[in-house]
Amino acid sequence: MIRFEAVEKWFGQQQVLAGVTGDVKRGEVVTLLGSSGSGKSTLIRTVTRLEAIQGGKVLFEGVDLAGRGVDINRLRQRVGFVFQAFNLFPHLTALGNITLGLERLRKMSKPLARERAMTELDRVGLADKADALPSRLSGGQRQRVAIARALAMDPDVMLFDEPTSALDPEMVGEVLRVMRTLAQNGMTMVVVTHEVGFAREVADTVWFLDKGQIVESGPPAEVLDRPGHERLRSFLAKVH
Amino acid sequence: MLEILENNWLLFLIGQYPHGPVGGLAMTLFLAVVGLSLSFPVAVALALARLSSHGWLRGPATAVVYIVRGLPLIMFIFWTYFALPLLTGRTVGGVETLLFALVVYEASYLSEIIRAGIEGLPKGQTEAAKALGLGYFPTTFKVILPQVLHNMMPSLVSQFVSTIKETSLGYVISANEVTFAASQVNNQLMTQPFEVYGLLALTYFTLCFTLTSAARWLERRLAAERGGLGVQTA
Repeated sequence: MIRFEAVEKWFGQQQVLAGVTGDVKRGEVVTLLGSSGSGKSTLIRTVTRLEAIQGGKVLFEGVDLAGRGVDINRLRQRVGFVFQAFNLFPHLTALGNITLGLERLRKMSKPLARERAMTELDRVGLADKADALPSRLSGGQRQRVAIARALAMDPDVMLFDEPTSALDPEMVGEVLRVMRTLAQNGMTMVVVTHEVGFAREVADTVWFLDKGQIVESGPPAEVLDRPGHERLRSFLAKVH
Repeated sequence: MLEILENNWLLFLIGQYPHGPVGGLAMTLFLAVVGLSLSFPVAVALALARLSSHGWLRGPATAVVYIVRGLPLIMFIFWTYFALPLLTGRTVGGVETLLFALVVYEASYLSEIIRAGIEGLPKGQTEAAKALGLGYFPTTFKVILPQVLHNMMPSLVSQFVSTIKETSLGYVISANEVTFAASQVNNQLMTQPFEVYGLLALTYFTLCFTLTSAARWLERRLAAERGGLGVQTA
């Protein structure tokens, strides 16, 4: 579904992606691990073209994202993205954050969009917060609204960029619970995280990135319990 | 001073109306309100052009803003006063001339406030809109500008206060506003310029002070709201 082909990305003189090659299959949950600066966030940002790449290709269902005639806005509707900092629109209510895309992009009528948004809010357990502004929500609730906002667009794949890193420890669980349910329902997911426990339990595949390359990949049991690479061993020792 | 006020308050307030055109304080307020309202869309367009990735939009908009901000308003008023009749081929009244000059002038200043507001928003807002699949216009008008305008309210009121004071320059082209009315009164009385212009000063001060206080109150309220709006803490 998503294919990275020798993806290269530079920030000035610094190379952050040094030839990443990998496949994400439909229905698969891929977890990206790696220390900060390893390029894992940058990698998933290339899938929605929030980051341009300088070498290689990113393909979504066989279509080159950087190709001519690609309607990037249409493509982005099929890729849900959840940010570390939530990035809810602070001037809109929880419901308004979700209906905006439905009304503008899906051209739904107001009542229809509202109904759909309520379904999504209910799915993340926040139906009672529909009319609350983001400033009145806790971090965990904000992130769940952000997930609902992405899900409302019926994406084919959900990308999560360290979704729990900005949260207080007691709120991590509620967000992971929502993500776990999603994975169980067959959603294709790529998750950048430091939650090794989540990776072990939910992921089908773990990619370990170091210096802009995938240095190890495989089922979590294999990668996490029998780490071959020295960097992965020291990484796991640190986060455990 | 009270006597002057007693005899001339109507002239101060509405000019020669209903026997002549509306003037005085009413015209001053009209000029400020209409001037700022008309300049607003122009300012938004200028700010967006200044931030555009297209050089052919950015270049001219930047030039306009820099030129206008580098010139005194009175020069602009003179320029409009002489150029507008030439361009339109008919006589243009003082009020229209002043309004035109004000709109161009205020738009340039406002556009800088709006531009700063847009650049001050967290980058994540644009990214989130993009990630949803929203294009440039819905992102700008549904996500970015509503937040910017909200955060900008105090600056907008300040700009309104400046505009009120700037309308006094209409005097030099005989636009019928409150300074013009005061000088009419002064010409009649001939002997009491301090009192007349004292009254004028008091009028401007009361108006502007009230509005500045309102701006400060708004600013405090916004500051209290922040954390939720404007700057979103992670």
